[in-house]
Amino acid sequence: MKKTLTAFSLGLLTSISSFQAMATQADDISVSDPFAREVPPGAPASASFMTLDNMSDQAIKLVQATSEASKIVELHVHTNDNGVMRMRKVEFIEIPANGQTVLNPGGFHIMLINPVTLLKVGQTVSVQLQFEDGSTKQVDMPVKSVKNRMGNMNNGMDHKMKHDMSGHMH
Amino acid sequence: MNSKPIILAISLGIILGTAFILSPPFNMQSGTSSQLIINEKPSGGDFQLTSSEGQHRLSDYKGKLVLIYFGYTFCPDICPTDLGNLSMAYQGLTQTEKDNLQILFISVDPARDTPARLQKYANYFEANIVGLTGKPGTIAEIAKRYGVIYAKVDTHDNSKNYAVDHSAFTYVVDQKGQLQTQLPHATSPKQLIKTIRHYQSHS
Repeated sequence: MKKTLTAFSLGLLTSISSFQAMATQADDISVSDPFAREVPPGAPASASFMTLDNMSDQAIKLVQATSEASKIVELHVHTNDNGVMRMRKVEFIEIPANGQTVLNPGGFHIMLINPVTLLKVGQTVSVQLQFEDGSTKQVDMPVKSVKNRMGNMNNGMDHKMKHDMSGHMH
Repeated sequence: MNSKPIILAISLGIILGTAFILSPPFNMQSGTSSQLIINEKPSGGDFQLTSSEGQHRLSDYKGKLVLIYFGYTFCPDICPTDLGNLSMAYQGLTQTEKDNLQILFISVDPARDTPARLQKYANYFEANIVGLTGKPGTIAEIAKRYGVIYAKVDTHDNSKNYAVDHSAFTYVVDQKGQLQTQLPHATSPKQLIKTIRHYQSHS
């Protein structure tokens, strides 16, 4: 009887410790090149873009995003329907197992609706990503301008700069 | 009756049609359909709309190459991308090329875009862009002639934050006011400059 109990306890302990060691979905997602867009005067929304890499063997869904920079934050996608760009709100953005999902202009993006202040180049915006399991990840990103070469061109130097400037992930 | 001229005409039509499809003015970016659809080739043509400084006609800009973009100021991603690229292209032009170019931004959301609001937005892009709006019916008529499709997206939660689906082409109108071609969404600044130079040197 005692032996059984010990075995049971051991089993219980093992399962608990292994459960604790299990990574959250937020831990399995790596974020790179995040940025938000400077808002032209009169425009009531900005968009945030980034690359999400899933390092786990299971698909992970980004289900929500929040930010102090904006009252309303929504996940959106654009589709190009014969040149007509249609923007729709989506319930989640999926990052495939061991794969990558890119949030970029013209595609998936995190909409920052009615930003609290006008987003300007030089500022840093924090966006909290929430995944299906409830885990979260904070992403700090620079604000970039669409009319600025350094902020938009995809050359090597800019890429390096983005890395250096993209701030830290939590 | 001799059927030869008819056959000849049909053959010529087929050849010309094929040539039109197969020969864009120059290489476009791959993966995007940018050519006018031959069956419903938009006619373009003159129009009159309102800017923050009064009435403007397309024909006011005769002698200049005109690029027309249809969008709206509440546009969160698509318009800033295209106008941003136009801005970068503009910055890459010589003064003479700038002087011979006019970019027009026509609102597909006249309910929210006042001329003043539109111009403030257009000025942000530093490309001498003129913002134009007008009565919904006038804009609809012009859009139809240019092959522009747009539609307000109904939202249940917040009626003030509605989006507008819209064609994201940049329309190229030559110095005589003739619609020449259309460039797809996210055409690069480099490609825009190439297009501008192509049409400015062929005037």
